[in-house]
Amino acid sequence: MSFWDDLADALGLGSASNLGGAAATAAGLALAKRGYEDIGDIGSQAYREMAGPDGLAQELRGMLEFQPYTVTTATGGQFGMTQDPTTGQMTYQMQMSPEEQALQQQLLSQAQQMYGQAAVPVAEREQQVFDRMMTAMSPSQERERLELEQRLAAQGRLGTQTAAFGGTPEALTLAKAQEEARNTAMLNAMQFAGQEQMRQAQLGQGMLSGSYIPQAQLIAGLQPGMTGAEQRRASLSEQARTYGETYATGLEALLQAGLGQAGIAGGFGTQLASSALGGLFKQQT
Amino acid sequence: MAQELKSINLVAPAFKGINTEDSPLAQDPSFAEIADNAVIDKRGRIAARKGHSVITTDKTALGSGTIRAIKEFERSSGSNVVLSVGNNKIFTGTTTLTDATPGSYTITADNWKIVNFNDKAYLFQDSHAPLVYDGTSVVRLDSVSGAAGVVQGNEVLSAYGRLWVTGLSTSPSTVYWSDLLIGHDYSGGTSGSIDISKVWPDGYDEIVGLAAHNGLLIIFGKHSIVVYEGAEAPATMALADTVAGVGCVDRDTIQYTGTDVLFLSHTGLKSFGRTIQEKSLPLSSLSGNITKDIISALQTENTFFRSAYSPEEGFYLLTFVGQDNTYCFDVRGTTENGSYRVTRWPSTGFSCYTRLDNGDFYIGTSNGISQYTGYQDNGLGYRFKYYSPSLTFGDSARIKILKKLKPTLVGANNATVFMKWAYDFKGTYATAEFTVGDQITGFFGESEYTTVEFTGGALTNQRSLNATGYGTSVVVGLEAEIDGSQLSLQEINVMALIGKLL
Repeated sequence: MSFWDDLADALGLGSASNLGGAAATAAGLALAKRGYEDIGDIGSQAYREMAGPDGLAQELRGMLEFQPYTVTTATGGQFGMTQDPTTGQMTYQMQMSPEEQALQQQLLSQAQQMYGQAAVPVAEREQQVFDRMMTAMSPSQERERLELEQRLAAQGRLGTQTAAFGGTPEALTLAKAQEEARNTAMLNAMQFAGQEQMRQAQLGQGMLSGSYIPQAQLIAGLQPGMTGAEQRRASLSEQARTYGETYATGLEALLQAGLGQAGIAGGFGTQLASSALGGLFKQQT
Repeated sequence: MAQELKSINLVAPAFKGINTEDSPLAQDPSFAEIADNAVIDKRGRIAARKGHSVITTDKTALGSGTIRAIKEFERSSGSNVVLSVGNNKIFTGTTTLTDATPGSYTITADNWKIVNFNDKAYLFQDSHAPLVYDGTSVVRLDSVSGAAGVVQGNEVLSAYGRLWVTGLSTSPSTVYWSDLLIGHDYSGGTSGSIDISKVWPDGYDEIVGLAAHNGLLIIFGKHSIVVYEGAEAPATMALADTVAGVGCVDRDTIQYTGTDVLFLSHTGLKSFGRTIQEKSLPLSSLSGNITKDIISALQTENTFFRSAYSPEEGFYLLTFVGQDNTYCFDVRGTTENGSYRVTRWPSTGFSCYTRLDNGDFYIGTSNGISQYTGYQDNGLGYRFKYYSPSLTFGDSARIKILKKLKPTLVGANNATVFMKWAYDFKGTYATAEFTVGDQITGFFGESEYTTVEFTGGALTNQRSLNATGYGTSVVVGLEAEIDGSQLSLQEINVMALIGKLL
């Protein structure tokens, strides 16, 4: 038994003494009931149309689903986004061109080499540089030594030994000059080795950085593609939103119309029943 | 018909000294064949040398030995000391030879070289640790406080503010020099050494002696000479000259004459200055008139060479100690061939010399230390000899018959004179002896004419001696026993008959 049935029973509309008024009341109630029930149907329809299995939400969901796409750069690098149709898991793929990969490998290798050289103990490198400098200086030093030897021989001083200078003052001067050159070479070798080590590290760093440039450029190249895809996604989203809003507006108008009809029927029945019930209750008093 | 006597006057005979190099026939009568115990006196005449007066009265320390080196140690305080060596000892003093040999120091030879340097006297000898005398005592040089690197050399030179040492048997071509003004430091300061084994002009030589002259360091090898200039700073001194073929026989033949350095080479007495000018040309030896004699003497000498220079006497003495023979070179002038006038002092017993700062000339003998003075050798007379070269009087083909010999002598007071002559290179001399009496330098031999308004004059003696024999060439000689008075040979007038042609 419905609300409306309970209400008619409570009002005694089923008794014979109130048949005329009862009829009107019943008619009014019937209308009101009908209006009430129509509202419920409208609500159900609205729910069905909006969130039901084939409703608007379902349709919009389909419209807003991810669209896989791929971006290819001018140098042949590619970036792709795919979704597993089963699991829905997204997959992002970035792939450089073979030339870029070769370049990257080469730079990485060279960077490794440079870092390796930079990691060599500096003393060893200092000795190598020093030896090369001494090798370069040796001929001139030998010439200077021979010149002095000849000069001392001409002066009859080859056999000179002194407590103050060891040999001759000239020999000491030459030895000091050569020793200073040697010391300078040693310091230069140390400085050079340090600078070289730093330069190698910088070169390694540069090569390492350079090796990632193709990748960075690939990523940079994605931007326009991603922008286009995003625009497309936004367009689809706008389209779905417009569709949804239009659909919802139509549905709302339909529901409003139904609600209006139900309201009219309900109001009329209510008024009718009220009028009938008003007369009834007046006579009894 | 009687022939005229020809007078041949030998004026100042032998004033050019001995000449044993040229042919006797071709010789200038100004030369002598023999001039023993002679010198060239101040007037250019041949004269008897001075004798030696022994100063030493106590030679106990010397014993039977002979003085082998004398050196006056000149101190800045002015109180000089005479050092001498002999009998493997070192002495101080002259009248009494005081043994100053360091204790526990063994000397095996007397060939010391003694030099003055910076208020000390240094003594060097081969194979002996050097010694130093500071005016108080003689000590080993290496025991002196601060001594370092002392080398045992055979030659030492004091010059340019340093001691220069060489003659090490282990390094015969190395010269060591001491630190400046420090004669005992050879390894510190500005000391040093130079090995000239690569400098010898002949490829190899050994250092014999050193000399310093005009800023030069003269290094004498046995047969070459090396000269360094700038020796004031030895570290930078440089070779200035080399002379090949002329070296020095012995370090003790090197003498300074003030303007030159004299030394004995294997070819005779040399002058450094002239040697440098003429390089190695051995043409102009200072002993060119007795070259063969000198060479023979130095080849047979097996003991010591000793030499001395006396500006007061004007001679350079060169003694071959082992042969007891001394050559006296008159350094005041040279003959036409550039040689010094030379005389000979045989058998004198002179073993060493030194000239004192005051000009006195000291001689070492077995009697101790003597002074070159007077005309006696330790109180005894000695024989002066003069023999002319063979004289032909300009015509070697004719016979000369000597009639008279008239020598003119200066001095010779109380001397016994032997006039000698011989013919044709025979060694058998005829002799005429005469004694010069006690002379008085005054008119008529009266002493009253030697004083007041009368001049003293000079002792001269002229004799006329009859001669005998004949021959184509004649040698005239004069011998005199010098025993207290000087003797100079002014001239010999020879009166001869020139005979027929042979």
